[in-house]
Amino acid sequence: MIVHEDVICSFCGCLCDDLTVEVEDNQVKRVKHSCRLGASKLMGHDRIKTPMIRQNGELTEVSYQEAYDKAAEILLRAKHPLLYGWASTVCEAQKKGILLAEEVGGILDSTATVCHGPSVIGIEEKGLAGATLGQVKNRADLLVFWGCNPAEAHPRHTLRYSSNVCGKFTSEGRKCKKVIVVDVRETRTSKNADKFIRLKPGSDYEVISALRMILSGKAEILPDEIGGVSKAELISLVELLKSAKFGALFFGLGVTHSRGRYKNIDNALSLIAELNAQTKFIIQPMRGHYNVAGIGQVAAWETGFPMAIDFSRGMPYFNPGETAACDVLARQDTDAALVIAADPASNFPRSVVEYLAKIPVIQIDPHENPTTFLADVVIPSAVAGIEAEGTAYRMDGMSLRVKKIVESSYPSDEEVVHNIIASVRRLRSNVIVEGGT
Amino acid sequence: MRTIIIRLIHSIQISLEAESISPDKFAPLTLSQINALEIWQGNRKMKLEDFFQVDGDEGSAKTEDMFVRLEGDFSRIKRLVEGMSNGIVEVYGNVGMHAGAKMKGGILRIMGDASDWLGREMQGGKITVSGNVGNYAGSGYRGEKCGMRGGEVEIHGNAGALLGEHMCGGSIFVHGDVGDFPGSLNQGGTIIIGGSTYLPGAEMGNGTITIKGPARLLPSYQQLEIVDIEGIKYRKYVGDLVENGKGELFLAEAQSS
Amino acid sequence: MIIRGGIIYDPTNGIFGEEMDLCIEKGRVVEDAKGEEIDARGLLVMPGGVDAHSHIAGGKVNTGRIMRPDDSRSGVEPRTRVCRPSTGYTVPNCYAIGYRYAKLGYTTAFEAATPIISARHTHEELEEIPIVDKGALTLFGNNWQVMESVRDKDIAKLSAFIAWGLRAARGYGVKIVNPGGGEAWGFGSNVKGIHDTVPNFDITPADIIRGLAQANEMLRLPHSIHLHFNNLGKPGNYATAIETLELLKDIKPSRMRQVVHVAHMQFSAYGGTSWRDFESKAPAIADYMNQNSHATMDMGQLLFGSATTMTADAPLEYSNARLTHNKWSNLDLELEEASGVVPMIYFRKALVNAIQWAIGLELALLTKDSWKVLMTTDHPNGSPFVNYPEVISLLMSKPKRDAEMATLHEQVSKRTVLANVDRELDWGDITVMTRAAPARVLGLEDKGHLGIGADADIAIYDLKPEDVDPSMDYQLVKKAMATTKYTIKSGLIVAKQGEILAVPEGRTYWVDASVPKADMDRLMIDLNEKFEKYYSIRLSNYMVQDAYIPNPAVIKAGLELESGSLVKEVA
Repeated sequence: MIVHEDVICSFCGCLCDDLTVEVEDNQVKRVKHSCRLGASKLMGHDRIKTPMIRQNGELTEVSYQEAYDKAAEILLRAKHPLLYGWASTVCEAQKKGILLAEEVGGILDSTATVCHGPSVIGIEEKGLAGATLGQVKNRADLLVFWGCNPAEAHPRHTLRYSSNVCGKFTSEGRKCKKVIVVDVRETRTSKNADKFIRLKPGSDYEVISALRMILSGKAEILPDEIGGVSKAELISLVELLKSAKFGALFFGLGVTHSRGRYKNIDNALSLIAELNAQTKFIIQPMRGHYNVAGIGQVAAWETGFPMAIDFSRGMPYFNPGETAACDVLARQDTDAALVIAADPASNFPRSVVEYLAKIPVIQIDPHENPTTFLADVVIPSAVAGIEAEGTAYRMDGMSLRVKKIVESSYPSDEEVVHNIIASVRRLRSNVIVEGGT
Repeated sequence: MRTIIIRLIHSIQISLEAESISPDKFAPLTLSQINALEIWQGNRKMKLEDFFQVDGDEGSAKTEDMFVRLEGDFSRIKRLVEGMSNGIVEVYGNVGMHAGAKMKGGILRIMGDASDWLGREMQGGKITVSGNVGNYAGSGYRGEKCGMRGGEVEIHGNAGALLGEHMCGGSIFVHGDVGDFPGSLNQGGTIIIGGSTYLPGAEMGNGTITIKGPARLLPSYQQLEIVDIEGIKYRKYVGDLVENGKGELFLAEAQSS
Repeated sequence: MIIRGGIIYDPTNGIFGEEMDLCIEKGRVVEDAKGEEIDARGLLVMPGGVDAHSHIAGGKVNTGRIMRPDDSRSGVEPRTRVCRPSTGYTVPNCYAIGYRYAKLGYTTAFEAATPIISARHTHEELEEIPIVDKGALTLFGNNWQVMESVRDKDIAKLSAFIAWGLRAARGYGVKIVNPGGGEAWGFGSNVKGIHDTVPNFDITPADIIRGLAQANEMLRLPHSIHLHFNNLGKPGNYATAIETLELLKDIKPSRMRQVVHVAHMQFSAYGGTSWRDFESKAPAIADYMNQNSHATMDMGQLLFGSATTMTADAPLEYSNARLTHNKWSNLDLELEEASGVVPMIYFRKALVNAIQWAIGLELALLTKDSWKVLMTTDHPNGSPFVNYPEVISLLMSKPKRDAEMATLHEQVSKRTVLANVDRELDWGDITVMTRAAPARVLGLEDKGHLGIGADADIAIYDLKPEDVDPSMDYQLVKKAMATTKYTIKSGLIVAKQGEILAVPEGRTYWVDASVPKADMDRLMIDLNEKFEKYYSIRLSNYMVQDAYIPNPAVIKAGLELESGSLVKEVA
């Protein structure tokens, strides 16, 4: 048995790096220190066994090379291919993905389109005042969880980084911290909060505006109730925020995907900037997939833009609302899709999935998921963080190198994309594909 | 006047980028040169004649003497008349995204619906739409401080969300209803909304928004006096006070809630 | 390869405009060579440019890109046979950085500020920057371990930590930004001067600066400490600048170089008590530089137009954001640093901006010895580096400066002395400030000159020094400096008349300093405790792995080596 220490969990954006994993006969036998979500991922589950191509409606086993060539052919034939996913794989694969998108003149987009895409647009309006999770651990005496539920979605966030951890200036842990939850419903997180503020659904923007008004001394202009919360309660909330030595606001999809979307984030970013005139405050999105932050970083340094990048004219063009995966699928403005480390068939609206079923789809994934059933080429890959190493970015932008702890006969995502690029280059020089880029 | 008529002869699946369809581009060109103009369909560089039939007057003309008539469903054709500086363009049909973006002058008349980003970063000229428009009409580009700076947009139907976001000048008149957050982050300009809307003028620094139908207002607007404009009584508000804004918002009194 | 007949400027080797052939083999300048010949008859030939202070890679830079799609959409160029697409102006993508430096004739660029904890990210970006050789300076000025060792007056342990930190970050040298201020920012405050107490650590910025300078020299690092002063960007801060430089006067350099390099002096040469009576104190700074020889500086020239300010001086960025009501990004990094990013437009018509513009030029022109002044714009804080040709033409031409001054607020000529400065730099000065001096300041022995054995990094400009009067023909100078006729990197033609022909991977310099094992052992006790209790990352996952430095160029330094093997001075 081999015991691996300080293994990095490749499940959620917390990217916990303190797991102990016991491996026997090249299989993960036991995972210690992780949450159940992380353990479940590391323990592994059913795998796609071989590459497959759909022939006469049935997925049929083929060689890797045949699958790469078929994928390349689909991408080269397409006038506006979409290369989507990238959140649950490592930066090395993402870099290759951007090169592939350039080579085939396609759109590259990440799963941020269905999670924190609106946060990114908010940041483009206002910038974001953040801190690493260790800074929060050491200093934060006030934590606000707004429209997020770490107790369910990021189970170790509170234990490692935020409300229930001791740090240099927070040596008494939970006892020396206040926890506020703002949400439209009670959650496991709100049950452990010192204060729970329940909003009417869709009223986040107005409530944030009200907080900004109170903060700047204009409370008297406000009505008596905003978003289902009394003005008096909001005033006491602002007093609490101002009393923090170091406040940290974490937000989730409850804010980014409720009415107002990126405007909610935009407004919250301004609230935090203004709070800094009176005390110390930071704000961070609770990123979901373990490397969804990474695709944003990689795409930004490679192309200048963090997501939704259309290379069809040979240079990056970015305009979420037009070039995001959900946009082009909803408008039926793409004619082939490569899906890697994602499951749009489960996460996208039904009409979009129906369209996806009509166009050629290439799937790269270690595991079968509903997207497999509409895929025309299926390429199984190694699980990054278990069977392949590489870089991942935590939700606060800190990068870590995830490890290889078991051997695998599957190629890594990076190798798969690399090989598709090779097939694209070969096919393009051998075969005259109509138009071509 | 030199008239050019462009008819769509194929149905379009993957949208086209057709900034070359513009009086400025057409003015100096012969018909056969117009036929050869570059149009992109996804990653394929094509020619205008691959999708369109071009008719009209031969020879070159000044831009201000150009009359361009587009016939057919242009709803999957983006960037029509981008940066247009003069002349008249009439579209008999719907138009796709970014129609009239960065327009500097001239007239664009759309007898149909328009998609998102109509008149994005518009500087001058006039756009009229007989039908509805999508989101972000008269807005800016992501991350920019300034959207529409000048010119006029008139929409006879309804408009989507984020109408005139980051508007710095010019005017937008929507006869129908408008989606969420019109006039947000505005630094100037005028927006008139005939119907309903939701949270207008968020973080507006300057500018005017007049709303004749029902609207939900932000709590960060302060109500001032009642004013009479063209026989209609309006409640006047100032905001957005979260930004110490001096924007003026008029809400027809019958509709105030 | 032989470059025939160029007019060579190689100040390091005492060559100022001599017609000479240059021979290149295996990426180095040699006595004699065969092969391809480049006709450079009469053309200006210099060593490849070296940028010792530029923000080109890492978290801050990428934050700038992410918050500025408005910037990224400018400067877009499609992919070519050899190039990836370029985007951006003040915050270009990695590829554009490499291509644009190469087109300017620059072949080396150093990222100026990398926190150890995010160095992996910096190297991921550096790896993607094509063509140029690069390195990254490592931030130490607000690090808990540094402050504790300084408090304990344990310079040996501090030296061990610097050695460890440079290895952990694969860093090149000791960067200090607003020492103590970053720690104070952790609870939203700042330090106001070098004798202010840093909250919770019972030391002062002065203690940190002196301690790090002493440790830097104890380790015989190739570069000196590289210092961004306290109070940077504030009216009246020239006093802090001089006070800080005085602190370091008695420290002996361990190599033939300065004891301190001052980053972007323009931002620290301010007089006045507020923005209302703001004025230049460049003459006072230049006087100090002329009378003392322990310091070098870079200009941090500001040019009118778009910029993106980014610095580890996080409180400064917060005031920038409040002042301009602009977008503001911030990132505090646990136990180490903070940082901020704010887009900026400098207006010709704004008096403060115009005075800032003049200050950078005054510093360069009033400091007599060009070896003490590196030309930078603190990219992209003062302006993006693509505007270096504008700075060069301003330095070389009084008529150009006068023409510019005529468009500025009349107060500029009262609050600065620039109008009265007649000095015009010559090609020798320019070569020093853009190549020879940056290489010497950094301690890069094979860069910045064309002596035998030097790296064959060469810029050939389409300008005949004998036919051009830079004072009058400043437009021609600017145009010629913007695009080389040839840029040669390690003996390979990478750019020709603005076209990128080849995209070799550059090397990444880092410094491997050795220290006595006993000191390292003592240090590790401290560090283990910090990683157990305070860091959110495990020690074993913290260090930058080899995989991120595919083309390393390691410079050895430290205590255990014979001094003779270390001090190989540049002539």
